[in-house]
Amino acid sequence: MSDEIAYAGIRDLGARYRKRELSPVDVTRALLARIEKLDPALHAFVTLTADRALDDARAAEAALRSGDQRPLLGIPVAHKDIYLTRGIRTTAGSALLAEWIPDEESTAVRRWREAGTVLLGKVITHEFAFGIQFPGHRFPAARNPWNLDHVPGGSSSGSGAALAAGLVTGATGSDTGGSIRGPAAFCGIVGLKPTYGRVSRAGVMTLSWTLDHTGPMARTVEDCAYLLQAMAGHDAADPASSPLPVGDYLATLRRGVGGVRIGVPRNYFFEGVDAEIQHAFHEALETLRRLGAEVRDVRIPSLHAAHSFLLILMAEAFAYHERDLRERPELYGEVLRERLLTGALVTASEYTQAQRIRAEICRETAEMLREVDVLATPTTPKPATSFAVAHDPELGFPRSNMAPFNLTGLPTLALPCGFSASGLPLSLQLSGRPFEEATVLRVGHAYERATAWHTRRPPV
Amino acid sequence: MADPHELTLDELRERIRVAGITIAEHRLAMVRKLLADALAPVRALDSRAIRPVEPAVKFVLESEGRGGE
Repeated sequence: MSDEIAYAGIRDLGARYRKRELSPVDVTRALLARIEKLDPALHAFVTLTADRALDDARAAEAALRSGDQRPLLGIPVAHKDIYLTRGIRTTAGSALLAEWIPDEESTAVRRWREAGTVLLGKVITHEFAFGIQFPGHRFPAARNPWNLDHVPGGSSSGSGAALAAGLVTGATGSDTGGSIRGPAAFCGIVGLKPTYGRVSRAGVMTLSWTLDHTGPMARTVEDCAYLLQAMAGHDAADPASSPLPVGDYLATLRRGVGGVRIGVPRNYFFEGVDAEIQHAFHEALETLRRLGAEVRDVRIPSLHAAHSFLLILMAEAFAYHERDLRERPELYGEVLRERLLTGALVTASEYTQAQRIRAEICRETAEMLREVDVLATPTTPKPATSFAVAHDPELGFPRSNMAPFNLTGLPTLALPCGFSASGLPLSLQLSGRPFEEATVLRVGHAYERATAWHTRRPPV
Repeated sequence: MADPHELTLDELRERIRVAGITIAEHRLAMVRKLLADALAPVRALDSRAIRPVEPAVKFVLESEGRGGE
């Protein structure tokens, strides 16, 4: 199979299936062979489901023959290994769950299955979506296809690596402080953290209830729109799930950015940002201006306190893991264990103050989004770091450009906007009003169509 | 005079004792940095300056725009 097919998008694959130029079974077999060839160096997959994938592909082929028009029919995907999959091992990247095979599946997994996707397997996550795999861990860490000595980002590390390497067409991710957008940025792909409550988290392991989001990852904005369409919607099994109707994310995708007001928050997001990321970001703004958007600077003063989000994350994560941490601490990776235990050291007053700061950030951001339609920032201040840096246990938890949008719950997209001199991807972050995923996707799609960053391929 | 915003090692040890947990000695520096960085904005906060904007309870009627499943 050519690279062209490995990197084909959802619309293209669907069209070729329907013209009988390609079959889901052939594409699935080819991708399984590609995974066998490339994954020993990438470590993106933790469980390959070849038999299941071929069964799914045959079912998709039969449905296509009967004229079934579902857009995700025969589309090869993988799930982050904190999404429960019925009958398929789910590890959360941890030794704690051992060989656990759930007898239930997450709502998002079910919805993609019912949409006709082909499940190639489960992809590695940082341990419980919070702790990077250090050498000696149960599972080796996924590697960045653009440079194997660099991290692919996390915690949806396998999703990012598999997409960048052309091993899957779509993947699920979860995002508590940037775990969809970080891997998207570092791997040169696209990730969408939808509005809090837009995509069900039922059957996805918890890290921090009030910050956790689930969403799609893909290589293009359009593919993210297709994947979101199939997973969004109310789910009574997730208490945070919104009853608001789901829009048509494809219908408005090509409307362009004429008249769209883009705000650039000049405080917080540019502290410590590499010069080449600043340059790529400003080039991206110029492109959006040229396409008809109105770009202006804005300020959200309370963001200076955004790093307090970590108090919320750690306190909630400790509450979730407390019993296992007290009874079976040896089953956690060492650095993750200490990160989780730090949550026990946060006082009730400090947690409450962090939530009050969060409320203030939400209020100011909502006010700003009355004046502009979308906020644009660099997704990360630096490109992917090397493993040598990431494996320094004293690194801590760096201040994040992504966490403010977990605090506010706003729909936020990360997409490629350039490359560093060393050949690593750079990323643009776009955030919109609650439940206005369609606007964010539309701006991202317009930018993507005007540039070619998303068409570059890593040297795998 | 000690910086009131600083998280001292003694304070960290006291928090660990009160929480009833064990953290290996060679990880204390990491935990101290993690917690101190996260606490910094809260410690710099004038808690009286923030308005209580979070509602205790928020009701949404079932009939209001329910869609999907």
